[in-house]
Amino acid sequence: MKPMRTVLGAVLALSAVTVSAGCGQGLLGGDSDKDKGPILLGMDIPLSGGSAEIGPYMKNGAQLAIDEVNGKGGVLGGRKLELRAEDDACDPKTATAAATKLVSAGVKVSVGGYCSGATLPTLAIFDRAKIPMIIPVANSTELYAQRLKHVFMINGTGDQQAAAAAKWLAKDGGTKVAVMHDNTSYSKDIAVRTAAELDKPGAPDKTAVEAVNPGESDYSAAVTTVLKGRPDYIYWTGYYAEGGLLVRQFRQAGYKGKFLVGDGSVDAKLAKIAGGQNGEGVYATMTPTPQTLQGAESWIASYKQKFGADPGPYSTQSYDAVRLAAEAIKKADSTDGGKIADALRGLDGFQLFSGPLKFTQQQTITGGFEIQVVKNGSFVLQEKVQ
Amino acid sequence: MSAVENRPVDGGPPVKPVRGRGPSLVTRLLESRRLGWGGLALALAAPLVIATPYALNVMTSAAIFVMLAVGLNIVVGYCGLLDLGYAAFFAVGAYTSGVLATELGLPLLATVPIVVVVTVLAGIVIGAPTLRLRSDYLAIVTLGFGEIIRICANNLEITGGPSGIYGIPGLWGDALGPAGFYYATVLIVALAVLLAARLGRSRLGRAWRFVREDEDAAEAMGVHTYKVKLAAYIGGAIWGGLAGVLFAAQLSAISPASFTFLWSALVLMAVVLGGMGSTPGVVIGAIVISLAPELLRGLADYRFFVFGVLLIMVMIVRPQGLWPHRSRETPHTAARSGEAAE
Repeated sequence: MKPMRTVLGAVLALSAVTVSAGCGQGLLGGDSDKDKGPILLGMDIPLSGGSAEIGPYMKNGAQLAIDEVNGKGGVLGGRKLELRAEDDACDPKTATAAATKLVSAGVKVSVGGYCSGATLPTLAIFDRAKIPMIIPVANSTELYAQRLKHVFMINGTGDQQAAAAAKWLAKDGGTKVAVMHDNTSYSKDIAVRTAAELDKPGAPDKTAVEAVNPGESDYSAAVTTVLKGRPDYIYWTGYYAEGGLLVRQFRQAGYKGKFLVGDGSVDAKLAKIAGGQNGEGVYATMTPTPQTLQGAESWIASYKQKFGADPGPYSTQSYDAVRLAAEAIKKADSTDGGKIADALRGLDGFQLFSGPLKFTQQQTITGGFEIQVVKNGSFVLQEKVQ
Repeated sequence: MSAVENRPVDGGPPVKPVRGRGPSLVTRLLESRRLGWGGLALALAAPLVIATPYALNVMTSAAIFVMLAVGLNIVVGYCGLLDLGYAAFFAVGAYTSGVLATELGLPLLATVPIVVVVTVLAGIVIGAPTLRLRSDYLAIVTLGFGEIIRICANNLEITGGPSGIYGIPGLWGDALGPAGFYYATVLIVALAVLLAARLGRSRLGRAWRFVREDEDAAEAMGVHTYKVKLAAYIGGAIWGGLAGVLFAAQLSAISPASFTFLWSALVLMAVVLGGMGSTPGVVIGAIVISLAPELLRGLADYRFFVFGVLLIMVMIVRPQGLWPHRSRETPHTAARSGEAAE
């Protein structure tokens, strides 16, 4: 009978824990007053799973901004900001659990969102709780297609990136372009939009739109298919791990043309994975990073001093999202979601890394893409696209 | 969590006859048919203790996961068919209701009959050719089908491609709050668990167990094994599909990322962890598997590491599952049939 007793004991212990943890939070309990103490900012980011390495970059970027705001005395007469980061694992189900957890914790503004697919189901949750979302990274068109009043995006959108890519491809002398994506929401969005841009008269020819499955190591089948069209420019819109492999395998297959990659591939590891000199001269469509921004040296230095590591992709956007949230709370002079959203809509010329901010009708930012190129193994600025 | 009766399968005398006295109080308690009602009452009372949106979300997810595990239990636990692609049926159900609700504007409940038809068809299409295979080969083919469904969803226009479908209405439009949705889910899942348990004790259920223990002997005794196996597959498909409808209603947005192999593996893990073929076991296994990662959130980076270690520990300490299925045999017949029963 020992196992039975163990099970029974476990059940009892579990119910005891539930009861003690949940005092006053039941359906019959009253609402606890959450309008004192620090103002919580929530952040749904990947801390486990395939995109886990991005999470800390974003979290640190946000934390840096929070410390700055708090150092200057906080907001609303001295209330401090506090960051609550939850793991969304880039998985829709985990993301909804994380989002409801943040809502339960009483966050006032959400400043997270990396994977578009995982961010999408969280929109309804934050919207229902009337919590404004400033999405630092996720930028799929579905996110603003629903026209939710509380959703703001401060990363360049898919169609903006596609336009920047098409412009650069034409300018850099591309005549036959192959577009490749990895069949994720974000990557396919850019690829399809770029293909549409290429179909316009006067643009370079499109030889193929080819998809690969992320996570594989041998893409020779896709490489062979794409090379049949004899492209002289290849635009890869997926992430850097596959991007590096593709660059390497295209070079091994004797491809002599140029590469352009999307913002998900902008990481020094791309050149490392590509190996040797393969990565040199790969162009990228990217929003400004601290490394390519004038006057960001001091920002990088303080980030390094605080976290003992270099800032990575999207550290700046997360930093900006928090500053934006603080600014909006100040302007609204309230933590009420509707008022904060109104304040966000009213902002004009607030300085972000990507330039002065004025939200569009769709509550996204305007433009802000630039072309970067790999030199000596890392991405540096090639030119601004306006 | 469920309304399950834990009665002897074939109505035989109770197990583990201890010489000199009857079954202990704990045994009688655990085998009582009121146990299921107790579980259901516990599930219904939980929101009175804690009803934050987060807790409700996690509990709703757990209830949906219970439904999935009970569905897979029909296939794996009762009939002994190793299915590594169960997420496929889950996806078929979620996508069917999602597409119908968003494209045609049907209320989600109205999609249920269509979902049942579609999942039955999917069960037949996938099951008919594969069920001629046995053991390892069946596992490999089901694994393949799971991936095929996911990759189809990723590439088809109608399923929204990689970004999936969004804006799926709730179960009764948006009339139900999170608490209402939780109660609706618990009641539906309880009904599903009860039906699955009853099915397991029916004539068909006995045939399933026979096939599981020895397919050739079952065939020789006049059980049409192919039909019986297909029935198990279709049953599992319906349960999975209906769980998919609940999932779509809960998330309001579905994408292929939700139906990866990991899902199939986790559901299978819930069945094995709880005890194959045992309804209360599978319910508990599903609750453990779906709640553990959320309860371990506090450990941040070590979350999945601890989750893995816990699972391994359970496997070592209780290899037969948390609440294994007990075969009802007298010592006499048990001695005769050797160790074949478990």
